[in-house]
Amino acid sequence: MKITKQLQTDVLIIGAGGAGLRAALAAAEAGSKVIITNKGPLAKSGITLTAAGGMQAPLHPQDSPERYFEDTVQFGYGLADQNLVHCLTGQACAQVAEAERFGAQFTRDETGNLALSQFPGQSLARNLFFKGGGVGLVAALARACRENENISILEDFFVTGLINSCSGNAAISGAIGLNLKNGQLTAIAAKAIIVATGGCQRLWEINDCPTDATGDGILYAFRAGAKLVDMEMVLFYPSVIVWPPSLKGAFVHYEFLDQAILDGNVYDKDGQAILPKPLPVRDEAMRIMAKAIIDGRGTEHGGLLWYVGSSPKGLEAVRKKLDIAQYNYIRKHGVDPATEKIEVAPGAHYLLGGIHIDEECRTNLPGLFAAPECAGNFDGANRLAGSGITAIQVFGAIAGLAAHHWAESNDHCEADPLCLAKEISRVADRLTDCSDLEPAVPRLRDQLCAAVQNFAGVIRSESGLKQLQQSINDIRFELLSVKVPKTTLFNQQLTDLLQLEIMCETAQIIAASALFREESRGHHFRSDFPQQNDGKWLLHTQAGKSENGLTISTKDIVMRQKCR
Amino acid sequence: MFAPATSITAKVFRFDPSKEKEGHLQSFIIKTSEPLSVMTILAKVHDLDPTFACRTSTCFKGKCGSCLIRVNGKNVLGCIELVQPGEEITLEPPSHFQLIRDVVVDFSHPLGAQQKYDEETEQ
Ligand SMILES: Cc1cc2nc3c(=O)[nH]c(=O)nc-3n(C[C@H](O)[C@H](O)[C@H](O)COP(=O)(O)OP(=O)(O)OC[C@H]3O[C@@H](n4cnc5c(N)ncnc54)[C@H](O)[C@@H]3O)c2cc1C
Ligand code: FES
Repeated sequence: MKITKQLQTDVLIIGAGGAGLRAALAAAEAGSKVIITNKGPLAKSGITLTAAGGMQAPLHPQDSPERYFEDTVQFGYGLADQNLVHCLTGQACAQVAEAERFGAQFTRDETGNLALSQFPGQSLARNLFFKGGGVGLVAALARACRENENISILEDFFVTGLINSCSGNAAISGAIGLNLKNGQLTAIAAKAIIVATGGCQRLWEINDCPTDATGDGILYAFRAGAKLVDMEMVLFYPSVIVWPPSLKGAFVHYEFLDQAILDGNVYDKDGQAILPKPLPVRDEAMRIMAKAIIDGRGTEHGGLLWYVGSSPKGLEAVRKKLDIAQYNYIRKHGVDPATEKIEVAPGAHYLLGGIHIDEECRTNLPGLFAAPECAGNFDGANRLAGSGITAIQVFGAIAGLAAHHWAESNDHCEADPLCLAKEISRVADRLTDCSDLEPAVPRLRDQLCAAVQNFAGVIRSESGLKQLQQSINDIRFELLSVKVPKTTLFNQQLTDLLQLEIMCETAQIIAASALFREESRGHHFRSDFPQQNDGKWLLHTQAGKSENGLTISTKDIVMRQKCR
Repeated sequence: MFAPATSITAKVFRFDPSKEKEGHLQSFIIKTSEPLSVMTILAKVHDLDPTFACRTSTCFKGKCGSCLIRVNGKNVLGCIELVQPGEEITLEPPSHFQLIRDVVVDFSHPLGAQQKYDEETEQ
C-alpha cells in the first residue's frame, strides 16, 4: 500500500464535530485555506449530534463571567487550568452571538428572550438550549462551512496518524488518512493542524456516545509526542439507559429530577428513592447510584429506575418538558418516558482529560493544536451541564484563529521520511490477500470494554487497575497478529481494527494515570484512597511518550491568569 | 400456546462494485426476545460478519439521517424503526444516494430524488 494522493493546505482540521467545524470557520474567515476531515459523513457522525443541546452562558441579569468562573473551578474540584476557565467563561456570551450568526437557534421563553434554566452546580440559571439539540448546532455550522469557499471538506475520511517533521524539533508536518469512499491512502501536508476528534468513551461498556468516540486524535497526538493530562478523569453521567436493548446508550436527564424542573427521582427495584434533594452535582449523583447497584438494589439488567411519572408538576407539564427529539426517540421505541420507569445506570459520557493545551489551544508540539473534548485541562475533575458545548464554541474559535496565525507566519515543514514510512506500514501491514479470516475484532473489543468498565469504571483500586493492565496487554498481544482483507471500498474492517488498537493504547494510558493518582477527586474514585488529598494531589497527572513507552508524571495546575 | 419468538431474520444487501457485477441478499439470524431497532440489527450483523459494511454512528434522536436505510422496500430512519422478534426483514441501501458498498451510501453524492428526500425529512 502506498500514498496515492497528496493534498496541501494552510490549516488541517481532524474531526468535524462542533469544535472542528467552529475552528474551520474561524481559520477560514481569517483567510486561511482549510481542509476539514471527518471519519463519518458531515453532520451525521460525532458526539456533538448526541448532545441534548444545553450551553452555559452568563446571560442572567445577576450573572457574570466571574460567577461562571467560580462555579466551574469549584465543581471541577480545583483541577482545571484557570487560564483556560477564564477563556471559557469570559467568551461564552460572545459565542452565543456567533452561533446565531452561523444560523443556529436557541429556544426562547414566553417573553421572547433566550430561555435560561438552572442545572445543578450553576449558582444562577445559566443553561441555554439549542433548537434541535446538538443536531441543530452541527447542521448550522456544517452549512456555514459548506458555504465558505476557503473550506474543503473530506467526509468518510479516516485519519490514521500524524506525521512529524524532519526538523528535529518534533513539529508536525501533516497527517495521513484513508479515503473510505475509494480506498486511497492520502497524505495531507499542512502548516498548522488542529486535532478535534472528540473523546474515547466507547472504551466503557456502558456509555452514551456514538461509535466514533474511540479517542483517535488523542492517541495520534500522544504517539507524535504531545503531552496528555488527567486521562483518568472521565465523567460518568448518572442516567444512561441500559434496558431495553434497542435503547441502550441513550440517556435521560438526571437534571430533570430537580425540584424546580420535574421533581422525579431514581428508584431501586423495591421502589425506594435513591437521590437526595436538592439534586447533587454529577459525580456525587452517579456515585450514589453506582453504590446502590453494587449493594444489590438494581434490576436484573443492572439498572435503577428513572421515573417522573408521579411528578407534582402534573402529567401535562412533564409531557411538555419531554417534548424534544431525545424523548420522542425513546417514545418511538415503544417506551413512554413521561409515565414509565426507565432502567438507567452511570455510563461514560465525557472525557475530562485529554491533550494538554494552553490558552491559544497550542499543544507542546509546534504547529499542533487541539480543540475541545480531545483537549484536557479546562474542566478539571467534573464538568457542569452545558460547559461542553460552550467549550467547543469558545476553544474551537480560539484554535481556528491561532492555527491561522501560525500558518501565516510559518512555512510547511518537511515530513520525516521514517515517520511517514512507519505510519504507512501501520495501515499496510494489517492487510492480507486472505479472505477467510476468523473475525477477532468484535470479540476483543467486547473483552476490552468489559475490562475497562469493571476496573476503570466508577470505582477503582490498585489491584483492579493492575488487572486491567494485564487484560489490555493480553488483548494487545492477540491483536498484533490480526489482519483484515484488502477491500478497496469502505474498508470498515480496517478502521474497526485500527480503532481497537487505538482503544487499547488509550486504555493503557487511562489505567496508568488512574493508578498514579492515589486519591479520589470528582469522577475519579479510588476505593483504596477514598479521600480528596489537596495537600498532595492538586496537580494534573501527565502522560508522555518515552523510550520505554509511557511515562506518567505530575504537572502544576495553572492558577488565576488572564486569557490573552 | 405459541412459544415466544427468539430471533429476527435479516436479509441484507451485499454488493462490492469494485469486485462484482451485481448485488445479492444474504440472510442472518439475530437472536433476541426483545424488539430491536434496524440500526441495532445492522450493528449485530456487522459483528457476526465484519465484511458486511454499514454505518453504526447514531445521534440518539432520529434527526441526523446517518441511519437512512431501505427496509422492506421503503426508505426509513433505521434508528427509530423497530423490528419485533419473529419478523423477517430485507435491508437495502437507501435509494437517494450513490452506493459505496453493501448498504453504505455516499451522502455527499445525492441522486436525482434528493430534493424529495429533503422535503420528507424536514421537520
Ligand atoms: C449524550 C450526550 C449528551 C451531551 N449533551 C451535552 C449538552 O447538552 N451540553 C453540553 O455542554 N455538552 C453535552 N455533551 C458533551 C458535548 O456534546 C461534547 O463534549 C462535544 O459535543 C464534543 O464535541 P467535539 O467536536 O469535541 O467532538 P465530536 O462531536 O465527537 O467530533 C469529533 C469528530 O471527529 C471525527 N473523528 C474522530 N476520529 C477521527 C479520525 N481518525 N479521522 C477523521 N475524523 C475523526 C468524528 O467522526 C467526529 O465527527 C453531551 C455528550 C453526550 C455524549
Ligand atoms: S442515527 Fe441520527 S437519525 Fe438515526
